[in-house]
Amino acid sequence: MIILTVDGRSIQAPAGSSVLSACLFADIFIPHLCWLESDTVADAPAACRLCFVEIDGFSEPVTACTVTVENGMMVHTDTEAVRSLQKTALKLLLSVHKVDCKNCPADKACSLQDIAKFLGIGLGCKPFERVLKELDVDSRHPAFDYYPNRCVLCGLCVRICRDRHEQPMLSFAGRGFNTVVGYFAETSDTDPDCLSCRGCLDVCPTGALVEKSQV
Amino acid sequence: MTENVKSRIEAAYQALAEEARDQKETFDQSPLPKIHIGMASCGIASGALETQAAFEAALKDRGVEAHVHTVGCLGHCYAEPVVIIDHPDSGFPPILYPEVTPGKAKMLVKLFLEGGDPRFEHIMGATVENEMIPSVMEFARFNREKRVVMERCGKIDPEKINEYIAQGGYGALVKGLGRTPESIIAEIEASGLRGRGGAGFPTGKKWQFARNAAGSDKLIICNADEGDPGAYMDRTLLESNPHQVIEGMMIAALAVGATRGLFYVRAEYPLAVRILTTAVDQARELGLLGTDILGSGLDFDIDLFQGSGAFVCGEETALIRSVEGFRGMPRHRPPYPVEHGLDGRPTVINNVKTLATIPPIVEKGADWFRGIGTPGSPGTAVFSIVGNVTHPGLVEIPMGVTLRELIFDICGGIPKQKKFKAVQIGGPSGGCLSADFLDTPVDFDELRQAGAMMGSGGMVVMDEDSCMVDVSRYFLDFTQKESCGKCTFCRVGTRHLLNILQRLTRGEGKEGDIKQLETLSRAVQQGSLCGLGKTAPNPILTSVAYFKEEYEAHIQEGRCPGCACRTLTAFYIDLDKCARGCDACVACCPVDAVFTTSTRKKGIDQELCVKCGECMVACPPEYDAVVKISPAHLAPIIERPSEKKS
Amino acid sequence: MNPLSSEDLANIEVLKKQIKDAPKGRGQLIPLLQMAQNILGYLPDKALSLVADYLSINRSDVYGVASFYNQFRFNPPGKNPVKVCMGTACHVRGGEIILENFERKLEIKEGDTTEDREFSIERVACVGCCALAPVALVGETLHGHMAPSKVEGLVLRVQLEREKAEREAGNS
Repeated sequence: MIILTVDGRSIQAPAGSSVLSACLFADIFIPHLCWLESDTVADAPAACRLCFVEIDGFSEPVTACTVTVENGMMVHTDTEAVRSLQKTALKLLLSVHKVDCKNCPADKACSLQDIAKFLGIGLGCKPFERVLKELDVDSRHPAFDYYPNRCVLCGLCVRICRDRHEQPMLSFAGRGFNTVVGYFAETSDTDPDCLSCRGCLDVCPTGALVEKSQV
Repeated sequence: MTENVKSRIEAAYQALAEEARDQKETFDQSPLPKIHIGMASCGIASGALETQAAFEAALKDRGVEAHVHTVGCLGHCYAEPVVIIDHPDSGFPPILYPEVTPGKAKMLVKLFLEGGDPRFEHIMGATVENEMIPSVMEFARFNREKRVVMERCGKIDPEKINEYIAQGGYGALVKGLGRTPESIIAEIEASGLRGRGGAGFPTGKKWQFARNAAGSDKLIICNADEGDPGAYMDRTLLESNPHQVIEGMMIAALAVGATRGLFYVRAEYPLAVRILTTAVDQARELGLLGTDILGSGLDFDIDLFQGSGAFVCGEETALIRSVEGFRGMPRHRPPYPVEHGLDGRPTVINNVKTLATIPPIVEKGADWFRGIGTPGSPGTAVFSIVGNVTHPGLVEIPMGVTLRELIFDICGGIPKQKKFKAVQIGGPSGGCLSADFLDTPVDFDELRQAGAMMGSGGMVVMDEDSCMVDVSRYFLDFTQKESCGKCTFCRVGTRHLLNILQRLTRGEGKEGDIKQLETLSRAVQQGSLCGLGKTAPNPILTSVAYFKEEYEAHIQEGRCPGCACRTLTAFYIDLDKCARGCDACVACCPVDAVFTTSTRKKGIDQELCVKCGECMVACPPEYDAVVKISPAHLAPIIERPSEKKS
Repeated sequence: MNPLSSEDLANIEVLKKQIKDAPKGRGQLIPLLQMAQNILGYLPDKALSLVADYLSINRSDVYGVASFYNQFRFNPPGKNPVKVCMGTACHVRGGEIILENFERKLEIKEGDTTEDREFSIERVACVGCCALAPVALVGETLHGHMAPSKVEGLVLRVQLEREKAEREAGNS
């Protein structure tokens, strides 16, 4: 086991684990969206840019999911620089998010709500303007509807689909600001696997994927 | 390696070199005139193919015999198509002609090749010192350059491997084959060569890491995914002298112990792809690539991958993903590609110019290389200098030359007596420097300190008519479109930066915008996953630092000091200067916004005007009646006569 | 989605034949998409499916990759593709104004194709003749030192040439 200090507290973690998993396991919350419990340091996409921490010896904040624990490591999860980056990242995500919690199936079980509450900020995105995508719902998938303006592009659904199926049926599509989670079939036949799996629906943290029968 | 093998390699190479030299000698000693035409993309774009056809047709028509020799690019874009005519019988030295149109080609065949008159009015200069014609070497654009990477560009036919070999090409490979990998790496480390792709990481160190990495299936990738929208030196190099890059790659392979190489070339560079393919085939035919290279017992071969156009694929990890057949999204490092690269194999990724620098270093030694440039950045830098500068094109200079020397002495300064305003260095990742920085020496560390960066080597010179806010908007528009979309700061952050800049250029700026630009820029720099996002705010941060008054003018007065932001600018016609009866502006307007007033002078309908500036260009200089003004409401209103309205 | 033209259908047969000789493996995805686009000029759904099936990759995955890269297009290009250079030098010298003029003249937006498939407009990164900025390509021909007033002439010339060709075809 590796012993490191987080916010003055000494914690233990298996060698090779990431600072993020070590902290979460020791009940020290660090905001994150794109990380799966099974992720090693090498697997972590490091895409959501929320899990910043400061570590002695690093000149600037680093993402906790990409740093491997070391003995004697001094980690700080609650510094001004860390919180400032996390708040900015969250506001950036909220600035492209249609905040309509009452009508969202993820209400009260939404990672964005949890993180905002943890950081002590609301669901507004000031000083950023809200920029929403034109398309509100994509209904091409036979089993679920996709809401681009709820999606935070954490990629969990795409990764779950890839892990469970030899030929994953979900993919990111487009690029940059216009990236979406896409499903494209030439015919409307659905892989029977798809309807029984539900992996993507269960893992979505923001209600961007909604089962068709629920609507 | 035994002495036996060494002498076998030497003998195999000498056999190739002898044949190549014989061919060259036959060509050089031919009494026929030689017409060398620059035929890289830039030359072709300027009409070199038509020029070549015109030469060939004229030679045939007039029954004149001459060699038409296609070569790569000399780097003098302002003068394309460039032709060098070597006509020994005329008694003149080889002469360089700029801007050789088909008409000029025909004329030169008749008057010079047939008649012996070189037509002095069309000459730029002789290519060698002589007593009859001033040499081009008397011009700063030629004599201040120091060519290491581009030494043979424009002198050899890139599609004939023997022309490269005849000039000593692949000699460095033979030297390398006779040395231990450790001694090659030591030589490169000692030379102080830093990666020419932009970041400036020491090349020797990178190779050492790859050499040390576990695994036998190592790989060298040449990164020719040149994506900076104002830089094209990698393309020119591949189109003009591909073998020097291939030779550099092979030496890199020897050093790290790789058996495969891969060229990652943009699919938008069809000519470079074609020339490179030919070059690799020819090298293979001569036994320089493939199995048992020159009898050494070593194997190495090269594949080509065409990049599909994503700026982010210039980033090493994204490049690897795209070769593997995925979306080119970067991943965090470590692990670095030198340990865990393509399909998990240790992979060295070097820029085109870095690899092209290797053969000269191996040939002439680390000390020679250290003798060029500055202590921290030895060697030369290749820039593509474009924008408002008299002699744009590719320039290779020793590191340490100042920006002032480069822009004003070598490239002829700003045309049309305009004032210098800024120079943008390093493309979308770089920064805008003001006149205060003109004495900054070109060097990895000095440029970074000033807030710009060497980057890809794109350099855009801007005169007083440019708007720094608009230039930032242009670059952010680019990076925003090219963001891969993976991480929050780059995907959403650059979009907000762009939105603010767009508002500013439309005159919708608000108090506090500058501060927000700075704060968000810093956050994007700090929070982004890869180099693209981390450097994307550089154009904003430098221009806010050095041209703050321009940002303030946009926000507070709705004024664009360069009169470049179209919403904030208006064109009007100064009635005191306008001449009755001249219709130049009316005829050229693409939207019929220019009308004739009751006095037969002209006016501009501000509602219709799209502010393209055509009328300003069309207005004869003796009247010079079209005026550009910002803010737009300052333009005097001239009513369109009512009968015209209907 | 655009219906496939008879030319497209013929090209798809060509693709079917050529793809058979290609090596397999995930690393072939981009080379095969490039092959498909070289043959068809764009990537209709049918072409994406062919590549997907050949490499045993799900179609969503293939589209995900194709839609990431600038090179791939999903609508047919015009017979005379207009490419306006948006390199830095061209921007400084008014490339956007040239683009706007083409858009206005052809009544389509960048990325689109006219209904008669005669013209399409796209913005391209530096074409590398910065000394001629601003620059536009119509078909394969490069036009340097572009000006708004040249746009109309270029479009007109293509149209006149087409009419002439049609007349000659009619006469013969």
